[in-house]
Amino acid sequence: MAHEGPMNEEPREGHPAAEVAPTRRRLLMLGAVGASAVVTIRPALASTAGSILNCEIPVPDPGHSGNWIDADGKLVAPNTPGAYPPALRPLTGEQVKSNLRYGRSYPGTSYDQSRAYTNYIRRLQQGTSGFTCYASLQMPRG
Amino acid sequence: MPRRYRADPRSERISVEMEGMAVIYHRPSGITHLLAAPAPEILDALSDQALDVDGIAACLAAEFEIAAEDEIAAVVADRLIELEGAGLVARI
Repeated sequence: MAHEGPMNEEPREGHPAAEVAPTRRRLLMLGAVGASAVVTIRPALASTAGSILNCEIPVPDPGHSGNWIDADGKLVAPNTPGAYPPALRPLTGEQVKSNLRYGRSYPGTSYDQSRAYTNYIRRLQQGTSGFTCYASLQMPRG
Repeated sequence: MPRRYRADPRSERISVEMEGMAVIYHRPSGITHLLAAPAPEILDALSDQALDVDGIAACLAAEFEIAAEDEIAAVVADRLIELEGAGLVARI
């Protein structure tokens, strides 16, 4: 049975195998767009307390720095009624922990604004700036 | 001007190769990551200098001996999102 398709390693017509196949293999080594190449294992327990609390979560992440945050933590267009502008500076792990545990507002923000920011942080996905910091806060300490 | 990226100096991490993957302990965060190619190569390239996506693609093209830099650039952009999310790379 013949194998046809994009993963076929056979040289294309008019291209000697020596030119095409090695390049194709090296491209495969690079991995594909959409595939994952970075996995965070776990915080090193010895330095957990200091480093995690000092890690930072930009709100929103730099890729959406123009967006505002609505009360549910969703990214919305700037000046959307009921939404809040980006945090002036990234929130630290310590601040986020205080907000999660004790409901303390972030510096310079109202209670509702802080809650919107925290809702945004809760929605962070792997690969978004600040996700590792937030995920680390959830991890039990050893 | 395209966005440029930077990683901490090599002295800020300990890297061990394990079955074709790189296990990297990042000293500033105290967090360990498991990286597959080309993430470790991107990290190395950004430890020496700040580069944009095309600059990184050019480095990888030389490293992997591939000419198709535009194809590499798409992969690089994807990996940068991951590396940034992991806190190993920062935009400047």
